[in-house]
Amino acid sequence: MVHYFHYLHKDRPVSDVPKSVKWLLVISFVLQLIWHGFQQPVVANAKDLAPPLSTRSYVMSSLGEPIAAAKFLNLWLQAYDNQPGASLSFHQLDYPRLTQWLDTILELDPDGHYPMLVASRVYGSVKNPEKQRIMTDYVFSKFIEEPNKYWRWLAHAVITAKHELKDLDLALKYADALAEKATGENVPYWAKDMKIIVLEDMGQLEAAKILVGALIDSGEIADPYELNFLTHKIATLEEKTANE
Amino acid sequence: MFSQVLTISRFTIIEALRNRLILMSFLVVGISFALVEFIGELAITEHRATQVAILAAFLRMSAVVIITLFVVSSTVRELHDKTLEMILAMPIRRGSYYLGKLIGYLYLAVLLAVIFSVLLLLYADSEQVFIWMISLFLELTLVIALSLVMLFTFNQLPSALAGVFLIYGASRIVSSILLMSKYPIVAHTSTAQQFMDGFIELLTWLLPDMHRYTQTSWLTYNTADSGTLLPLFGQTVVYLVFLSFIALFDFYRKNF
Repeated sequence: MVHYFHYLHKDRPVSDVPKSVKWLLVISFVLQLIWHGFQQPVVANAKDLAPPLSTRSYVMSSLGEPIAAAKFLNLWLQAYDNQPGASLSFHQLDYPRLTQWLDTILELDPDGHYPMLVASRVYGSVKNPEKQRIMTDYVFSKFIEEPNKYWRWLAHAVITAKHELKDLDLALKYADALAEKATGENVPYWAKDMKIIVLEDMGQLEAAKILVGALIDSGEIADPYELNFLTHKIATLEEKTANE
Repeated sequence: MFSQVLTISRFTIIEALRNRLILMSFLVVGISFALVEFIGELAITEHRATQVAILAAFLRMSAVVIITLFVVSSTVRELHDKTLEMILAMPIRRGSYYLGKLIGYLYLAVLLAVIFSVLLLLYADSEQVFIWMISLFLELTLVIALSLVMLFTFNQLPSALAGVFLIYGASRIVSSILLMSKYPIVAHTSTAQQFMDGFIELLTWLLPDMHRYTQTSWLTYNTADSGTLLPLFGQTVVYLVFLSFIALFDFYRKNF
C-alpha cells in the first residue's frame, strides 16, 4: 500500500491528514460562505468623469511612455459610457471636464488627432445643442492654436453649426477663421470655400460674390478644377442675385 | 582565458533555452498579437498608431521583465546551488565568469529584441522597427548589467528584483520628476524642498537617460533616423562599463 501511494501519488493519502485539520477546513469554508452572505450586494453605479491628473503624472505612471498612455486614455475615455453594470449615454457626461481630458491626451501625444476626431464626430454629434456647442468651441480653440494642423476638424464644426445647430452666424465665424488662418499648402481649397457656401446660405449673395471674385483675382489658385468651380459659382450667384 | 569566457556564456545560453525562455517570448508575442488586434477593433481613428503604440510599450516592458527575471533567478540559483563555488574552485578568474555570464545574457537580449520586433513589422515601418530593435537591445543590455549588480549586492531574489525595478523605473521617469521639481505649481523655498530638488538633480546625474531609449513615437510617427542611435550607444557603453565595475567590485570582495 505504501509503495502504491509512493509511486503513483507523490502525496500522502487523505487519511493521513489529522481529523482536526479536516474539520477546520470545512468550518473555515462554511465561514467564508456565511461571511459573503452577509455582505452588501454589489450595485452597478455609474461614476462621473473625474478630472484628469497632470500630464506629467501620466508620463510617470506609464514609465515614460506618453504616446502609449495617450492611446490608452483615448480608448478608456471613448469607452467611458460603458461602465461595469451601467451604461451612460454620451450626453450625460460632463462636457467641460471632457474637454480637460481631451486636452491632457493632446498634451501627451501632440501629433495625434484622436481627441479632435472624438470631439467633432463622437461627442459633437449628441442631440444636445448646448453640449455640441461646447465641443465645436473646443475644436475652434484648438484650431486657433494650430490652424494648419486642425483645419479639418474646424471644417467639420462648420457643418455641425450649419446643419445640426442651424446657427449660420456660428458657421460663418468658423468658416471665416478657416479661410483666414488655414493658409498652409496642405489645406485644400474646398475648406477655404466653405465661407462662400455659408454666405450663400445666409442669403448674403453679394458678399459671397465679392469673396469668390477676390479669390480668383488673388492668383493663389492654380488648380484648374478649383478655378472652374469658382467661375461656375460666380455665375450661379449672379443668377440668384438677378432672380431676387 | 577567452575560451573560458565563451564556455560560461555557452552554458548560460543553454540554460536559457532549457528554461523555455524562447517559448515564453513567443507566448508573449502571441498574447500581444491578440491584445493588439482587439485594441484595433476598439479604435475609431488612428487605428494603426493606437495599435503600434500600445504594442510597443507592452513588448518593451515584457522584454525588461522577462530578461530581469531570468538573469536574477538563474544567477541566484548558481549562488545557492554552489555551482558558482565549484566554477570558482577551478582556475577561472572572477572577471572571466562575469564576462561569460554577461555575454550569454546579451545573446539572449538579442534574441528577445529580434523576436519582439518581428511582430512590430506587421504594424510599423521596417526602418523604424529596426532602430527600435537596436534600442531595445541596448536598453536590455543595461537592464542585464543592473540585474547582475543588484544580485551581487543583495544575494537574494526579492531584494535584487526590487532593486532592479526600482532603479529601472527611476531611470525612465527621473527627467519628468526633474521637470516637475523645476517648475512647481506652487513655488517653495523651504530647506526640505531645496534638499529634494538637489537630490533629484543628483539622481539625473547618476542614472542613465532611459527615457531616450526605445521610444514609441519612432514607430507611431516615424521620427527616428540613423543618428538617433548614436547617443544611445554612447550612454550604453558608458553605463555598462560603470555597472560592470560596480558588479566586479562586489564580486571580488565576496567570500564563499
